[in-house]
Amino acid sequence: MTALLETRGVWQRFGGLVANSDVSISVGRGEIVGLIGPNGAGKSTLFNLIAGVLPPTQGSIWFDGEDVTKLPAAERCQRGVGRTFQVVKSFETMTVIDNVIVGALMRNTVMREARRKAHEVLEFTGLAARADVLASDLVPAEKRRLEVARALATEPKLLLLDEVLTGLTPTEAQTGVALVRKVRDAGITVLMVEHVMEIVMPLVDRAIVLDLGKVLVEGKPADVVRDPKVIKAYLGDRHAVGA
Amino acid sequence: MDKNYTARRRRDLIIAAVLAALAALAPLFVKNVYIQNILVLTLMYAALSQSWNILSGYCGQISLGHALYFGIGAYTTELLFTKFGVLPWFGMLAGGAIAALIAMGLGYPFFRLRGHYFVIATIVIAEIGLLLFQNWEWAGAAMGITIPVRGDSWLKFQFMRSKLPYFYFALALCCLAWFVTWWLEDSKWGFWWRAVKDNPEAAESLGVVVFNSKMGAAAVSAFLVAVGGAFYAQFLAYIDPESVMGFQFSLLMALPAVLGGIGTLWGPVLGAAILIPMTELTRSYIGGSGRGVDLIVYGGLIVAISLALPQGLVSLFSRSKAKGATR
Repeated sequence: MTALLETRGVWQRFGGLVANSDVSISVGRGEIVGLIGPNGAGKSTLFNLIAGVLPPTQGSIWFDGEDVTKLPAAERCQRGVGRTFQVVKSFETMTVIDNVIVGALMRNTVMREARRKAHEVLEFTGLAARADVLASDLVPAEKRRLEVARALATEPKLLLLDEVLTGLTPTEAQTGVALVRKVRDAGITVLMVEHVMEIVMPLVDRAIVLDLGKVLVEGKPADVVRDPKVIKAYLGDRHAVGA
Repeated sequence: MDKNYTARRRRDLIIAAVLAALAALAPLFVKNVYIQNILVLTLMYAALSQSWNILSGYCGQISLGHALYFGIGAYTTELLFTKFGVLPWFGMLAGGAIAALIAMGLGYPFFRLRGHYFVIATIVIAEIGLLLFQNWEWAGAAMGITIPVRGDSWLKFQFMRSKLPYFYFALALCCLAWFVTWWLEDSKWGFWWRAVKDNPEAAESLGVVVFNSKMGAAAVSAFLVAVGGAFYAQFLAYIDPESVMGFQFSLLMALPAVLGGIGTLWGPVLGAAILIPMTELTRSYIGGSGRGVDLIVYGGLIVAISLALPQGLVSLFSRSKAKGATR
């Protein structure tokens, strides 16, 4: 069985800066994959390339057996790629339910069905009680949750989570982790960017470490955290020698 | 929750029907031609502002160039009528269609612009349109077109003896624009537009084709405004570029919506109901003398309202409603 998502030799340059160089990763169906790495490693860039915000300078992106390199974000969403944003982008003047309806309209053209779908998703993500509140009135953790809800409403095959657990209190993060598991159990593949290792590692099936735009290591979380190269990337040479 | 929602939409529809019925009865009590004239203009601007609101309020693409579509509606109707004898009713539809096409043609390059740059582009384009018509000999250039009087008839949409037919048409147009907005508000388009206004990038990630949504909004908005322009031309029975395509029309479409509540269902109607009579009354009572006092008073009132209620006049109603909903 082919991977759900694959990047093949992807490069992204911004002027003289190389954000991604020759990145080839793959994500299998039903996996939770963590994309980690120190600040500036190129995680967000890779993420945006997969979501279709911008096309890669070089290389190709394959989703569900199809070359989607040239497709814009909206069409990738149609193919089944859902995403959240690192800096939350709620529709602030709309209510929570209306935010989610926008996503639900992707696959439900009849308003009544879109609305029903949106309520289902709010129930699933634990936001049902906040349905009629304006998005601008939500607390940060709820806004993160709304991002997830909106993306889920588009009924994605792959959900891209961009630092949804970062900046949350430990309790909030735990609820977040539970939600991610629930999403996977619903049959949705998850690729998540995080740089807080201790939250992601117990959650993911596999971790891919990026550093300086390249894939440094990939494997089981337990192996990855012990890898000297990873320790070096995060903490510098001195600690790597000690390991 | 859903019940509340459907109930609210139904309530809006009932309120609109009641208001329309009351407005329809107004001529029974208002015999003064001057006041009738103000009522016609108020209804027309309510309709125009409601149409402007679709592109600029819901979809967030602020246009200060809608005078162009208004003028195109007026000119298409009158050119077809005077040069080819086409009835104004068909001219009206043709004007709407041409305006919608032009709006999309202009949208193609300009919807790439954001924020203030887009606004500036709309102003410039409307000014260019105005200059073109001022110099277009076949269309009467700066002299304009006088609509030949053929006697009162619904067929030719021309009435010299009474303003009432115009009043009823303006009322119908206002109801149409309101109803189109009401209907679109709870449709895929309505949701797409609001999403595009709030955050185009997030909208795109949810499968919204941002460019197409803007084009759709522009077409609907321009069509309705052009129909209003066709009506205005028949109402005046004489048009020249300045009197149907001047910048003031762009402003008079934007202001009621902004004042009443931009991007809301009731904002434009409410704004027009207050603003247009105020414009006319300040002009007739304190204007005329030095050509300016009326505008100062008028501008001052707008500033006062926008400072006190930045969300528009509708927020007076919705604020108490929102409180009731959360308790």
